[in-house]
Amino acid sequence: MTTRRRAVAAFCAAAGVVLAAGLTGLGPSSAVASSHREAPLTAADPAIDNTDLYAFASPDRPGYVTFIANWIPFEEPNGGPNFYPFATDAAYNIYVDSDGDAKPNATFRFTFHNIDKRGNNTFLYNNGPVTSIDDENLLFRQTYTLQSSFNGAPFKTRIANAPVAPSRVGPASMPDYQKLRDQASVTLPGGWKTFAGQADDPFFLDLRVFDLLYGGDLSEVGQDTLAGYNVNTIALQVPFHDVALNGDAKRNPVIGVWTTTDRAKVRVTGKTVPLTGQDRVQVSRLGNPLVNEVVVPAGLKDAFNSLSPDKDASIPQVVARVTDPEVPHLIESIYGIPAPATPRNDLVEIFLTGITTKANGPIKADLNSQLNNKDVRANTFRPSEMLRLNLSTPITAAPNRLGVLGGDLQGFPNGRRLTDDVVDIELQALEGAAQTGKLVDALAAGDQVDANDNPFSDSFPYVALPNTGAVNGGGGTGAGASAQGSSDGHPGESAPPSTETGALKDQGLGSVTGMALTASGTAGAAALLVGGVWWWRRRSRIGEQALIAAGASHDPHGNGDHGHPHGPDSDPTLPL
Amino acid sequence: MRSTETSASRRSSLIRRVVFVGVAALVLLVGGGIVGLRATSHPSSGDDATRNPAAAGGNAAAAGRAQSVTVASDTAIARAQQRLRQVPGDWVTWAALGSAYLERARVTADPTYYPKAEGALDKSMSLRSRDNADALTGLGALSNARHDFSDGAKRARQALAVDPYDAEAYGVLTDALTQLGDAAGATDAVQHMLDLRPGLSAYTRASYDLELHGRIADAETLMAQALQDSVDPADIAFCRYQLGELAWQDGRIADADREYAAGVAADPAYLPLREGQAKVAAAQGQTDAALRGYAELTQVYPSPAYFLEYSDLLRSVGRTTQADAQVALAAAAQQLFTANGGNDDLTGGAVALAQGRVADAVRLASKEWQRRHFADVADALAWALHADGKDSAALTYARQAGALGARNAKYAFHLGMIELGLHNTTAARADLERAREINPNFSPVDAPVLRSELDRLGSS
Repeated sequence: MTTRRRAVAAFCAAAGVVLAAGLTGLGPSSAVASSHREAPLTAADPAIDNTDLYAFASPDRPGYVTFIANWIPFEEPNGGPNFYPFATDAAYNIYVDSDGDAKPNATFRFTFHNIDKRGNNTFLYNNGPVTSIDDENLLFRQTYTLQSSFNGAPFKTRIANAPVAPSRVGPASMPDYQKLRDQASVTLPGGWKTFAGQADDPFFLDLRVFDLLYGGDLSEVGQDTLAGYNVNTIALQVPFHDVALNGDAKRNPVIGVWTTTDRAKVRVTGKTVPLTGQDRVQVSRLGNPLVNEVVVPAGLKDAFNSLSPDKDASIPQVVARVTDPEVPHLIESIYGIPAPATPRNDLVEIFLTGITTKANGPIKADLNSQLNNKDVRANTFRPSEMLRLNLSTPITAAPNRLGVLGGDLQGFPNGRRLTDDVVDIELQALEGAAQTGKLVDALAAGDQVDANDNPFSDSFPYVALPNTGAVNGGGGTGAGASAQGSSDGHPGESAPPSTETGALKDQGLGSVTGMALTASGTAGAAALLVGGVWWWRRRSRIGEQALIAAGASHDPHGNGDHGHPHGPDSDPTLPL
Repeated sequence: MRSTETSASRRSSLIRRVVFVGVAALVLLVGGGIVGLRATSHPSSGDDATRNPAAAGGNAAAAGRAQSVTVASDTAIARAQQRLRQVPGDWVTWAALGSAYLERARVTADPTYYPKAEGALDKSMSLRSRDNADALTGLGALSNARHDFSDGAKRARQALAVDPYDAEAYGVLTDALTQLGDAAGATDAVQHMLDLRPGLSAYTRASYDLELHGRIADAETLMAQALQDSVDPADIAFCRYQLGELAWQDGRIADADREYAAGVAADPAYLPLREGQAKVAAAQGQTDAALRGYAELTQVYPSPAYFLEYSDLLRSVGRTTQADAQVALAAAAQQLFTANGGNDDLTGGAVALAQGRVADAVRLASKEWQRRHFADVADALAWALHADGKDSAALTYARQAGALGARNAKYAFHLGMIELGLHNTTAARADLERAREINPNFSPVDAPVLRSELDRLGSS
């Protein structure tokens, strides 16, 4: 206030000078900013932002594994004029490590190209109905090249100029979007299927669960914070034998999967070096949906996006964070539930080795570590963070949204299906901590979002079609899967215990105790809780999509089950 | 909140802007070619329009400026505020809110966002004083915005101590070291930023670093890459403006014109583009259009630098009285800036020099030089000393300005004139020829001097 008065006084003095010079048109004014070059700092760069990774044995196609990786969070329908293209100066990668050395045995690299026919005459995405993937009315489109490399061999191009499913403009512009989706789902020699394009964001949760980290409470949950938003999806389906060690998924059924985005390395130091060469810089990395906060200390929160998995075990802070995570202490301070004793070697199994009896961990089960592959040499195994999947786990006919914790061994953290409810897995597991057996009442209901707002399809690429309605319009998202697509996993459905026992036997997991798997679920839960925070923060880093409009919309879909926090699948003591 | 309505509202804002230009032209005619300070510069305060109806034209422009494009920072601010109402303890979002205010301040050049940014960042720090790299980075960016570059560097280093992988902290450090004149440190910092997170923010800074070292083609390559990664219209406008500036400084007027126009198409509210278009118009001989451009620009954004440029153009066409009036306005604006706690003796020195207060100009430029050894400051000090008849002392600073190899016609012209003052005609001829080769239109006042001096010296 004082400053402002001084400013006005100063201006009047100055204006007096000016007026004396015979000038007119003066009035009170305001200060201007200092003048120097100011470049954008927190610029929106959503195109490189990994959001989620899913990996599962294809329920409709025995012997094939499906990877679904998403980028560009919080895509609002009606996002023109360019909508949401993939970056053309980045590479989008899916990696598979089958021998456990934390280095890729298979790399799938997607690079994108623009076909922009708009010229300078129009900003319009299309200038008429788009009825096919190569419709001339679609003025801006993208294509991609998929290359693969196995065991360090040079990359081979599997397909070039594959069509990207366009951003869904709306029913008038794209009257039959399913057709565009189908035309963008390409089958390649060798039985591969590939897809890239827009989809409904399949992740479902109420982000407000994580407000407890900031002293918030859980009085308002039950809203799928991601309802109505779209993402850009890359989906790939390949035969087991293309990714299993030595091509033998029977002897070597476990794979580890992660995704990255990278850009060319730019050098400005030294005048003789060209700006860009062959080197790449990893700008984003994602395996499990739960890592940056639990595995990486706060001071290294950006580090994880730069590291390759083979570096994980060499960062002592990372290991320390795994064995003594923050969240159980947080829960203890808020809800009085004692944190489990440390060191948390169960978490080491979940994050860094996979669940196995071969690494002297506390979980007495052999589920999804490369160490359980018969051709893996233990001395080259290197603990690292990735999403680990046992390809031989039988398909569960009626998946349990709580995954392994719910007795459904085909679910997270053994890979991840679209229907796995990662937030509730964590919350339910926390309630049923093996060390206490007590429920945390405030957390008992979880986030009360048990399923995605749009049903998934039962065939490749499985994700629901993009939403078309405004996110906060409250009128539903207008998306949904294809007509033929019924939900492949009915959320909230719990497999009977006998089935689970059968599944365990099928897996050769007869020695697994209920306590052990409950413990693993608890660990996963704690991990997931922070993982969600990590997830939220990752999204919050993006300038435009910076913050969640929590509470801005109500639940337009009436997602069921909110009133049944203690359904059968939420029983943490379920015998296995 | 990108929506199809945006382009519609942008079009209507363009229409308003055209109307405004007409009004401004009328004012110019009626008022004898003089336009004073506009009534308001705060797009955020909607009641200003009713407070001073006399400046309706300016308000229309200001309103257009508010509505047209700062969508991303607006959205970020609104979302952060909404979240903080529900979760007031969320220190991460408090830091994000502070940074969003700073982005808004940068895009609109409106410093009234600084106190808001400071409040949000301080709140974040008070909630989480330990390991709060986001808030430290924001505070560093705020210090840079207020020209306290030493503090900017300090905060950035504190953030990096917490999080060595924080690319934004390296961005703040880069900005601070650049302005402080620690060229090697700045290059090192921006390389770290590139190594952590190549993308728009890193590319734009790396481009500037290359530009300062005279690597114009490389600078353009990176700025074009930054443009490719731009999503927000304000970011597109920034990159287009810088591409225009690179072309302009390199003497490629048509290229510059094209870039500025493309920037205006993306974000008509980004004001530096108007400066670019005005000086291009002047260089192309479209004096009336150029004068109109500067009149509008200074009306909407009364910065000392813009007044001085406007004054130069008026002087170059013999309108001395009006030119002097713009200098007086520049002095008034600078006085206002200083009274508000602003700290920019580089601009203060330029204003003093334009007013003929040579001793003040030397004093202010020296003061700024004590703070930071940036090339622009060296050049300003050299030119003030030259005006003061101290060419020997000036020579050191003029050479310092070009020490990194910057391809800058103004630096070369100043050096050449100083050498001329020292009767070193060989060196003077070489440097003046270099200035002409780089950009013969670098200044409406000095370019004719350059031409006549070269004519007098004859070819080498």
